[in-house]
Amino acid sequence: MPESSETTVVLPAHLHARPAGQVVVTAAKFTSAVEIVYGAKTANARGVLALLALGATAGETVTVRATGPDAPQAAEAVATALRTTA
Amino acid sequence: MSGTVGLVLVSHSPDLAAGLRDLLRQVAGDAVAVTVAGGDDDGGLGTSYELIRDAIAEAGSGEGVVVLPDLGSSVLTAKALLEQHPDPKVRLVDAPFVEGAVAAAVIAATGADLDAVVDAAEEAWHARKL
Repeated sequence: MPESSETTVVLPAHLHARPAGQVVVTAAKFTSAVEIVYGAKTANARGVLALLALGATAGETVTVRATGPDAPQAAEAVATALRTTA
Repeated sequence: MSGTVGLVLVSHSPDLAAGLRDLLRQVAGDAVAVTVAGGDDDGGLGTSYELIRDAIAEAGSGEGVVVLPDLGSSVLTAKALLEQHPDPKVRLVDAPFVEGAVAAAVIAATGADLDAVVDAAEEAWHARKL
């Protein structure tokens, strides 16, 4: 049964190219599917261009949602990447 | 990480290819082999069959190589080269140059296989900026 886990992150910087790349690389280490939700938009964490198109800016809150057997670990790792990649 | 799919950037302009490679390093890190074939044999604007051939050889890791041309004769020269030297592990991909390269490099950095990297580059056609 797939587990689901969500955590929110206040972005320290715009979700621009480098952090978006880190999100993809980090999410790929887990088997869970990971999505980033910003307002009404949702982007799969496998697509760097979709993440960039969220247009999420510094100070805004995004939700990291993971679904799968390692959902809590995946959500936390991606959230950490977002909090620490400038 | 053992071996990722490599990328070859083929551009009329050596500066354009080198600049895009810099961007890819920043977004995707150093794990992915990105080589460039920019300009003609004399370093001017144009396309070089030999430079493309060498860049493909340099990018090859055994996992496969994705060749991304910018436009025009870059496409035609790369296409001619791969038709004369067909290799299932070397794929010429129809994708937007910058967006396709960024998407492909990031997916390649995750250790994805050749098909997944090709798909990521092609999906860039559908990525809206706004």
